[in-house]
Amino acid sequence: MPELKSLPFTRIVATPMALDATIWPAEALAFRAANDEVLLLASSLPTIADPHAIILPDSGFVGVWLSAEALQAIFEQHCEWALPATRPVFVQGAVAGIAAKLWLEAERGLLIVPAAYGHDFAERTGLA
Amino acid sequence: MPVAFEAGDSVLVTLQRAGLHPNHGGCLCAAGDCPHCLATVNGVAYVRTCQTLAQPGMIVESFPTDDYPHLPPNTQRGPTVSARNLHCDVVVIGMGEAGQAAAAAATAAGKSVITLDDKAGQEVVGIYPELMVVARTDTGMLHIHAHDEVVVATGAAEIQPVAPGNHLRGIVTPRAATHLAAKGVALGRVVVVESGGAVNLSTSPALNIVAHRKGQVLQFEGLDTLKAVVIQDDNGLSQRIECDTAVVGLGFTPRDLLVRMAAGLKVRAVGDAAREADLPPCPNAGMVCSCSSVSAADLQRVWDQGFHEMELVKRATLAGTGPCQGVVCVPHMRSFLATRTAAADPSAMPDITRLSKVQAPFTARPVVRQLTLGEVAAGAHHHATPRTGLDAEHRRLGAVMDRIGGWWRPWHYGNPLAEYWAVREAVSIGDVSTLGKMIVSGPDTLAFLERLYPTKVSSIAAGRSRYVLILDERGYVMDDGLICKDSDTRYTLTFTSGGSSHAEMWLRDWAEGWNMDVRILNQTMSLGAINVTGPLATQLLQRAGLTQPYKFMQHGHASIANVPCRVYRLSFTGEVSYELHHPVDQSAKLWRTLMTLGADLGIRPHGLQTLLQLRLEKGHVIVGQDTDFDSTPRRIGMEWALRMDKVDFLGKPAIERTNKTVLDKQLVGFEMSAPATFEGANIMYEGEYVGYVTSSTHSPLLGKVVMLGWLKLVNGALPSEVMIDGRLARRVDVPFYDKEGGRARA
Amino acid sequence: MNEFQEQKINLTWREPKRSYDVVIVGGGGHGLAAAYYLATRHGITNVAVLERNYIGSGNSGRNTTIIRANYGIPESVKFYQRSVDLYQSLEAETDRWIMHKQKGLINIAHNEAGLRTERARAAVNVAFGSKTDFITSAEVKKLCPQIDLSGGGEYPVLGASYHHSGSTARHDRVVWAYAEGAMRRGVDVHQRISVTGMLKEGHKVTGVQTTAGPISAKVVMSAVGGQVTQLADMAGVRLPIRSHPLQAFVTNHYSLSFEPILASPALLFYVSQTARGEMLMGAEIDRQPSYSYGTGHHLLQTTSYRAITLLPFLRDLRILRQWTGVCDMSPDYSPIMGFTGVEGFVITSGWGTWGFKGIPASGEQMAELIATGKIPELIAPFALDRFARDRTMADRGSAGTH
Repeated sequence: MPELKSLPFTRIVATPMALDATIWPAEALAFRAANDEVLLLASSLPTIADPHAIILPDSGFVGVWLSAEALQAIFEQHCEWALPATRPVFVQGAVAGIAAKLWLEAERGLLIVPAAYGHDFAERTGLA
Repeated sequence: MPVAFEAGDSVLVTLQRAGLHPNHGGCLCAAGDCPHCLATVNGVAYVRTCQTLAQPGMIVESFPTDDYPHLPPNTQRGPTVSARNLHCDVVVIGMGEAGQAAAAAATAAGKSVITLDDKAGQEVVGIYPELMVVARTDTGMLHIHAHDEVVVATGAAEIQPVAPGNHLRGIVTPRAATHLAAKGVALGRVVVVESGGAVNLSTSPALNIVAHRKGQVLQFEGLDTLKAVVIQDDNGLSQRIECDTAVVGLGFTPRDLLVRMAAGLKVRAVGDAAREADLPPCPNAGMVCSCSSVSAADLQRVWDQGFHEMELVKRATLAGTGPCQGVVCVPHMRSFLATRTAAADPSAMPDITRLSKVQAPFTARPVVRQLTLGEVAAGAHHHATPRTGLDAEHRRLGAVMDRIGGWWRPWHYGNPLAEYWAVREAVSIGDVSTLGKMIVSGPDTLAFLERLYPTKVSSIAAGRSRYVLILDERGYVMDDGLICKDSDTRYTLTFTSGGSSHAEMWLRDWAEGWNMDVRILNQTMSLGAINVTGPLATQLLQRAGLTQPYKFMQHGHASIANVPCRVYRLSFTGEVSYELHHPVDQSAKLWRTLMTLGADLGIRPHGLQTLLQLRLEKGHVIVGQDTDFDSTPRRIGMEWALRMDKVDFLGKPAIERTNKTVLDKQLVGFEMSAPATFEGANIMYEGEYVGYVTSSTHSPLLGKVVMLGWLKLVNGALPSEVMIDGRLARRVDVPFYDKEGGRARA
Repeated sequence: MNEFQEQKINLTWREPKRSYDVVIVGGGGHGLAAAYYLATRHGITNVAVLERNYIGSGNSGRNTTIIRANYGIPESVKFYQRSVDLYQSLEAETDRWIMHKQKGLINIAHNEAGLRTERARAAVNVAFGSKTDFITSAEVKKLCPQIDLSGGGEYPVLGASYHHSGSTARHDRVVWAYAEGAMRRGVDVHQRISVTGMLKEGHKVTGVQTTAGPISAKVVMSAVGGQVTQLADMAGVRLPIRSHPLQAFVTNHYSLSFEPILASPALLFYVSQTARGEMLMGAEIDRQPSYSYGTGHHLLQTTSYRAITLLPFLRDLRILRQWTGVCDMSPDYSPIMGFTGVEGFVITSGWGTWGFKGIPASGEQMAELIATGKIPELIAPFALDRFARDRTMADRGSAGTH
């Protein structure tokens, strides 16, 4: 079974307008966790048009890439909400009773939880 | 006794074929509606045997005759039941004609449809808000989330006869007769009675029908088993007919519990589930509710006692509160009340004049089909308790872990006294990762914090920190922490572990409410934090790479043990202390390096127990342990933390108001001789209760017991000597240890 | 016939009059008890109790029937101990069987904070006349042999407080005993009459407007649960109350063999076995304020899960029914009793999750307040103006679930 690993995010909190206007690097994964917050997986940082933006590396999340089938199995057992049909898509909600984030691509997905809940999450979902 | 069965047989059919009744008697419906086939199956009591397929090795037991089933033994944890979450547009419950039509129509309209049918082993338990249908199956639970609607096509239940002797074996509904006959159950001589409901058994040619009458059953005769029925026909003539089985048709009542419990949800009944309920004749004698042993005479008695409403009759007799949820008794209770209400004199019984003649059935509640706690718990978890980046480290070191402030934290590592002396005399490290850590940035940051906090935020210099009380709008102490200035437009705020979960919401609420141009980032779970404390703390950190000295309440960035840290010089323990905030994935590396580098300095980690002891010697208040809902700064003796000359801050108007009231109690320090009393001990003065101890410890260094506690003012003053635990205790000023604070600033 | 059927109570219904000395709004336990004590203790019988549904149809008929006085502050311990005492003598006084049974209540501690709370609880209880001991986990096991002291390896039992006078009684029978006792002495109880407004002279309340017409009264008392803020608003009183749903459920009937009331504040559930053999379980309030009586699945699911953690045998018991009540929570989680600042309008409210256990003392004290026009000492700390006077009834340790 694949393991949860620390994710090298950059966490960006800025005005919604500045985040809307940002052009993210082509290879980047930019997850809009909130109106004013992006979790970024990228090798370089874009310019954020907000002089007061908080931009910091953040190792507070762990995650795992899973196949569509493996994700489906986890969601059927541990998730009361329906996944959207569109791909790719970023969604957030409780999975196995823990606040999770999910990046879904066509054939796979990245499941993300706060590192502080990684132990419980792995135990509950079998991702130990 | 072993019995044979064929594939597809229910437990009921299996037992009936062997001439056995699963329970002690009563009319069988063989359709899951009544309680008369309940038995204990494989140790689980209250299983409807008509809905349960027979399996090899299954153990079926009747209930005791004079008691309820016994509570099962406290067995080992059994296999957990799993739950599957399914999503669709439409759920159709019941796959009879109406259900099939509804499913076909929804499918034709392009909807995704999930169908459930108890004949396929899917028993629907309830329909819950947000349109979740919960069903039990033998292989686990189904939690089905319908997007559009739920269609209830569960059909109708047959009304069962109420007459003396209706508890005997040998009485069945028309449907049950058909079903049992088709399954090869020998029913012997059959009498059919149509009591308002048509009975057509022509599809069951195997039946030996000795009589077919229209009328009412006056009496079912027999000892345990039916021997004869006495029937009164429509002309009032009675006739006694000997038989083995009586089939009584009384009409139908819709199976609409699922619809009625889902009021306000998009749930629709179709087919017989939506039909009007037939009203049987008013019951005059016999068992009305066999779940709770309520007879027609009981209904009459409580009616005469003044109980005239369905709900009151239910509560007075307990009819309808058993396993069948009123399916059997409700039609008869409605008929009874309608008949009595119509005959009542309104002036003598004004309470019933405000009711319609036929009262609605009583409130439907989940669960419709029964399931065990183990089944309903499927998919549940305990509240997840977060772990710091050092959790594995603590456990490896043999720490006793405890849930404290919502986190797993080390209580001690086996030798709390040694932990204590390590802090007081050498150096120690403690895990404080659970502190709330927030960054606020933006042009309005200073204005925002100035309005939020009771201290003068503008007087904090960059690179400095200040201890602050956090108040709610009622002026009560909600939390405490630090304000650390990074720049004119950026501050870092800390909160207690217990307060951290609330901190982000609190900040965001007020920022939004006051329309402040700020950005807020919660780093509580992103940063680990290690407190390095003790007289040798500076020495240890110099070994680990600290080059620049920090003054008390100063902060800055440094690389410690090659880990990028935000270093805060402060003190909670009373000794020189540095908090090292660092990326949480590097906590273990930092911790282990410090332990190695400090080995010859006598380093030890300390747990929460020791930390609480150390801070108590310093008289530091723990919000939540020493404070209560009504703790104003005045009451906890911390008015020094307020700047009442500020234009405004959160809670200021409330404090101005409450400061005008007479002070009633205060949180103060006490000392007494060993041993320490427990936290929560009563404080007595001249025989009267004047408060209680909130924190208590024996101070190894001071050689006495030091305490904090709430003390009432007596005649306008705080008593200076009180009794705690039957011993004399003196009120003293805090801190108890190092009053000048020289050690922390060294 | 089952032995638990009501056989003695006789309810007498009369037509409403246009005027009473006292009109009590709300025919639940609190309203009917006040009427009963007005009639029996003060001879005031020109009293009407108005109930918009049937008597006991609100929280009085939806609670988990626990009686206890193990609170965390002196004022509450004294008040609830009075209720415990009145409950103990209620059967003898009314000659009606309320199925009162002393069971003992175990409040379990699973961590250090829990131990601190339970030790403190025991200390303050004893100081104010309520019998509560701090006990070890071994003693817990003796009182409740079914318990798994390891808490499934997740929530170990470290100790507990044991409240000897923790009891249960049948909620409906308490309601009926008070109703019958009041009716027999001339009090009118009217079902299916809703209050739609207040009759007022200036700021003074002089009666109520109802679906059966206006009814005047010298004193109007609100003993309403649920929509109490709306009723008080009609009288011109703003109440600091939020209403939250609280759910409970029972299993089928099983042979009597679970003796105590067992509560776990950390796991947020409590359980007892009813006289009829049902295992009765309750949980925490819903954080989201609402007047809804709707039942949810999440509570049933998580409470079952938690209960099995401590009592593994519950796993194979079948659930019979779940239901919901609405709890009126005040800012300090203590009730509000007494004058309101509006002449002619008094109130007993804010009963949170403790309404049933407070019925006798609330009824007795409010009756005394109405009859004498003075605030009885026992309930003086619970006055509405305490929030403005900074005298809240802070009781952190008892903001529990039942």
